Amino acid sequence: MKGRLAVGLALAALATVHLAALCAGFLAPYAPLEQTRALPYAPPTRLHFVDAEGRFHLRPFVYAIADPSGAGEAYQEDRRQPYPLRFLVPAVDATGAATTGKRLLGVDEPARVFLLGTDGLGRDQLSRLLHGARISLLAGLLATVLSLGLGWLLGTLAGFYGHGLDAVLMRSAELFLALPWLYLLFAVRAALPLHIAPAQAFLLLVLVIGLVDWARPARLVRGVVLSARERSYVLAARGFGASDFHLIRRHIAPQTLGLLLTQAALLVPQYILAEVTLSFLGLGVSEPVPSWGNMLAALQRYHVLTSYWWMWVPGLALVPVFLAYYALAEALRRRAGPAAL
Amino acid sequence: MEAEEPLIRVRGLTKRYTRPGGRRGGGTVLAVADVDLTIARGTDLALVGESGSGKSTLARCLARLEEPTGGGIWFEGADILALHGRRLRPFRERVQLILQDSATALDPRLRGADIISEPLQVLGRGNRRERRRRALELMEAVGLPAACADRLPLELSGGQRQRLAIARALAVQPRLLILDEAFTGLDVSIQAQIASLLQDLRRRHGLTYLYISHDLPLMARLADEMAIMFQGRIVEQGDTARIIAEPAHPHTQALLAAVASLPAAATP
Amino acid sequence: MTRLARRAGQGLLLLAGVSVLSFVLIDLAPGDFFAEMRLDPRIEPATLQALRSRYGLDRPLPERYLRWLGSLATGELGYSFAYGGPVGPLLWPRARNTLVLTATATVLAWALAVPLGAWWATRRGGPVDAVLAGLTATLLAVPDLVLVLGLLLLAVRTGWLPAGGMVSVGHEQMLWGEGMRDLASHLVLPVTALVLGALPVLTRYVRASVAETLRAPFVRAARAHGIPELRILLHHALPAAANPLISLFGLSLAGLLSMSLLVEVVTSWPGLGPLLLEAILARDVYLVLGPVLASTLLLLAGNLLADALLLATDPRIRSEDA
Repeated sequence: MKGRLAVGLALAALATVHLAALCAGFLAPYAPLEQTRALPYAPPTRLHFVDAEGRFHLRPFVYAIADPSGAGEAYQEDRRQPYPLRFLVPAVDATGAATTGKRLLGVDEPARVFLLGTDGLGRDQLSRLLHGARISLLAGLLATVLSLGLGWLLGTLAGFYGHGLDAVLMRSAELFLALPWLYLLFAVRAALPLHIAPAQAFLLLVLVIGLVDWARPARLVRGVVLSARERSYVLAARGFGASDFHLIRRHIAPQTLGLLLTQAALLVPQYILAEVTLSFLGLGVSEPVPSWGNMLAALQRYHVLTSYWWMWVPGLALVPVFLAYYALAEALRRRAGPAAL
Repeated sequence: MEAEEPLIRVRGLTKRYTRPGGRRGGGTVLAVADVDLTIARGTDLALVGESGSGKSTLARCLARLEEPTGGGIWFEGADILALHGRRLRPFRERVQLILQDSATALDPRLRGADIISEPLQVLGRGNRRERRRRALELMEAVGLPAACADRLPLELSGGQRQRLAIARALAVQPRLLILDEAFTGLDVSIQAQIASLLQDLRRRHGLTYLYISHDLPLMARLADEMAIMFQGRIVEQGDTARIIAEPAHPHTQALLAAVASLPAAATP
Repeated sequence: MTRLARRAGQGLLLLAGVSVLSFVLIDLAPGDFFAEMRLDPRIEPATLQALRSRYGLDRPLPERYLRWLGSLATGELGYSFAYGGPVGPLLWPRARNTLVLTATATVLAWALAVPLGAWWATRRGGPVDAVLAGLTATLLAVPDLVLVLGLLLLAVRTGWLPAGGMVSVGHEQMLWGEGMRDLASHLVLPVTALVLGALPVLTRYVRASVAETLRAPFVRAARAHGIPELRILLHHALPAAANPLISLFGLSLAGLLSMSLLVEVVTSWPGLGPLLLEAILARDVYLVLGPVLASTLLLLAGNLLADALLLATDPRIRSEDA
């Protein structure tokens, strides 16, 4: 029973996060590229319910902030003018022009509601977090589909047909597994142009991460297929003339499903981390498009690392996501039994 | 009596396995060595031998699940070793193999009716509804309650699983049924039930059986003719009654001596 | 012995295969080191062409590969344009530093994981079980990047540890003892990051392996004979679990080497990682090859070591060889 609860919670958490990412355009108060140069590294805006005169307001409000020194160090609230939080405001893009659609939150000019602070260019971190989630989380999912798809195909072919095909595939797998994974990823990344437009970068990144790691799933699938192939019922099905395709589809492939699901739950976090790592080091999705990786890159400066805690959020946001995926993997593994390991 | 073409004619069948060379070096195993066999229509043959005698390998060669290394197999006069793939289909419909250990011979994930109708699906016979109807018909023919149609194999008893396997084999209306150790692992009473079911079906559908077993007394009761296999060769062949009464080969004599009691004559 | 020799031979073949694969891969990249220079209007295209010829960049692929292979004999391993010298001398100190880091982390991680995992295996179902399960799950969920950044923050804030680098300024003037202490203090940060990253998975595997051997019939027999639990654990269960654990060693090493790439870059540890990153950013093709192959070599060596250990500890495998 506890297992069911854990799976349910994990799935709910993942669904929430992914839904939020999908609705980033609506949930984010600002456009991810929108800069407020006057407010670099602004701390998260505080929501107030009690104003300067001590009155309680049901609708929270914020104060405009400014840094009198101009250095972005000492922000102070201007308590003279409260700006109430508005809901379902008309959307405005990075240049300030009106677009269709609404945003969940907003405040009137010149105040800002930076619920997670801003970065060095005055960009709202919450908005960038939501939009960045699309890149990072989606990259992990797509790469997993690719890696498992390719691995399943090659593993099934190798296990089912054996002989030469098996030998070739297994030698190739050994080759790919001879390198530490991140080094292999970097080597393949080195094969691509250094500067890639962000849109293409996402796609290329998914391709690279997904295609490089086919070897491990392939070996696992091959193992399952090898043992399934020898079962009597496969022989019996051959006995009434079943084609290879029918055998694989009806009898062998279903046995690989448990393995694939467990592997998926383990691989998605790994691939998300791959995208984050590559973007962090400048080899992935590049500025100004936000990804949790390149957002964390700001932490490479000691000053940012120690003084601005809100810049850590993309990294911290990974923890519940990973927890959910690993809980899912554990539950799936338990259901599938030790054979799926 | 007109010289009717025998159902199965086997000449000089050989199957050699090569073990891959390991640290100890490879080697070849001669599973089936120069076997001659004839099965006439309507005459049940029992292939009897100890484990390792090559009888299962021979059965798989006959069902074209293994490729023999040498020799020939003719079914109703046609050389079936020359056929492959699609052209083998008519043969596959006429000869069916029922494997030992029904527990593993049935896909544990499929339900009764789906298991029975799978051959029909593979051969492209009828739509889903027709296949289900036929499956239920077959289940009735083998004495399975209709409830088994939606059960998984592990929910059925050993005897019921065996009936399911038989029903599946009947789906394509075969002429020859090869039963590889079909009675092994079943309780004696269940064995009797299956045996009588098989006799019944045989009469109704004009089937011929090739039994494969190590259980000499049981085979003596069921089969008209017998062939004794030893180390890949057929050492003695002929009418069951004659073999039981006057075994010619030392191996047959040893087998008979090992059995506690034996019926006086085979009952067809 | 012959088994090991055969494995070593296979390893060398794999290394060669990886070198071909990497060479071809990197060759696919558009542009080269001189491509950046092309943008400078002061440099004539003819000069660039001459430079390319001089360094053999305009030769066909197989010829370039063979030349590079040949340079192995002299220890050069190609030429680094960014550094203006052969790759070999740049590579070895870096490889050594990575080895120091990963070897220390591996030893420490296993030294912690084995007793912890074994103890955990004996405490099924109790509060210890739940606590450890929760701790490992939480630690597992923290990405390595966040771990190492967090440790860096700790180092900078508290000043207890140097925040990066391998040695302090003036290291060459230090006496041996002091120099060692200096090195050790710089090791703490990256090693901790690596160990914390590897510990959850390792501990769980150890626990699973030991738990399985504790269930084995021969252990139950030992218990029935009245042998105390601790002795059973140390003398019977652990040695039996050694086989699957040593097999795991190779896998854990691969993960650790991967992680070390990131940790080295973030903590400025002068290992193979930062060199590779630099090389990629500079399109310095032979310099990219170097760390990739060096890391493969380290992994292969580690696997060979695991094989040797397996051979030494498992009498069954040894008798097969006879």
